[in-house]
Amino acid sequence: MELIDRESHQKLYHQLLSIIGKKIESGEWPVGSQIPTEEELCHMFSVSRATVRTAVLDLVRQGYLKRQQGKGTFICRNMVSDGLVMTASIREQLFDEKLNISTNVLAKTVMMPIDELDVMLDIQPDKHVIYIKRLRLIDNEPILLQETYIPYHICPLLLEEDVENQSLLDICEKKFGIKITSVNSNIDVAVINLNEGRLLKQAEGSCAILLMQYFYSGETLILYTRSIKTQNRFQLIMKHERKII
Amino acid sequence: MSDRKVAKDVMIGIFEYPHVPYWFTISQAIRIVKVSFISTKKYPDPMAILVFDEKYNLMGTLTLKDILRGLEPQFLKPSAKAQVAEEDESALSLIWDTLFDKGSKEFTERPVSEIMTPAKYFVEPTDPLTKAAYLMLHHDLILLPVLENKKKFVGLVRMIEVFDEISNAMLKE
Repeated sequence: MELIDRESHQKLYHQLLSIIGKKIESGEWPVGSQIPTEEELCHMFSVSRATVRTAVLDLVRQGYLKRQQGKGTFICRNMVSDGLVMTASIREQLFDEKLNISTNVLAKTVMMPIDELDVMLDIQPDKHVIYIKRLRLIDNEPILLQETYIPYHICPLLLEEDVENQSLLDICEKKFGIKITSVNSNIDVAVINLNEGRLLKQAEGSCAILLMQYFYSGETLILYTRSIKTQNRFQLIMKHERKII
Repeated sequence: MSDRKVAKDVMIGIFEYPHVPYWFTISQAIRIVKVSFISTKKYPDPMAILVFDEKYNLMGTLTLKDILRGLEPQFLKPSAKAQVAEEDESALSLIWDTLFDKGSKEFTERPVSEIMTPAKYFVEPTDPLTKAAYLMLHHDLILLPVLENKKKFVGLVRMIEVFDEISNAMLKE
């Protein structure tokens, strides 16, 4: 079994990420199977829980793994769409522009990162995070519930901006000069909770599409968005183009 | 005080303290206290969390004492009834072992808005420190928010700075 090389200059979590990645690629850990628990991984590779958590969450971000509340972490390598590289300008263009879209800003505030948000955002757990919750409506029908988390130090002035009529990505790029260079999108199914159901006019416990997007500027994660879309007559549109070399 | 210091001269930045929205649970607040203060061994005076609404307006403060009080069983809280004889604390000795036990765990899922100290009093940046001292003393506050034009939350006045300034004036010959 490949082990962590403590003499290496490479960070421990990078090494662990690479070892787990190889196990998935080689089929040693087959698609659909459950990976060892955090505690078991700590034991297997003699690393801390924080190192394991960082590596696992990075693989979740990349679409290799999927976490299921109360059940464990599972391999879903086959869900990654290879070869599609986004080359067009990345915009918050989830729906056809011709539709009558409006936005309700439900929250624009600051919080501390909880429930592993610090690892997902790659920040220290005692750093502040800007939290924006918006309900997207088409013809006044609630369609999409979006929660966005941005490390406060990335753009503190975002709190002063109008996020009802402007795209967050436009604000980042045009006002703060933060260029978004890549996006990782993970798609899953979510079970709607009471509060989400109330906002989306859906029954608690019903299913919805869950879109998790990680926006990067170079290697730095700028923002993380969790969107819930209910079943309705509208579709999410995500355009990808194959990169021309 | 002769040189008449104002709130903005001594206030500290709001990002010195963790922020939470009012819907966070007591359990989440406890974890924040642990990562922000206890595990980092940063013990600011006072140790507190700031509670905000969805529009980032300050709603209140949450101290360690507020959290523990929120976990205390209801029957141990002082009675609101008038003319009730003071409880003999030694008579409660049988329940000390179970004071923060199973029942308290259920309370950890309550929102922090139920246990915070509401932010009712504040000063403007240009208000004299004596006003801050008055408000803090008469309303038993450990932190006093500084709001610009009664709206924008720009800082916090602590008792230590208020004490320092007032005591300097007292000791001056």
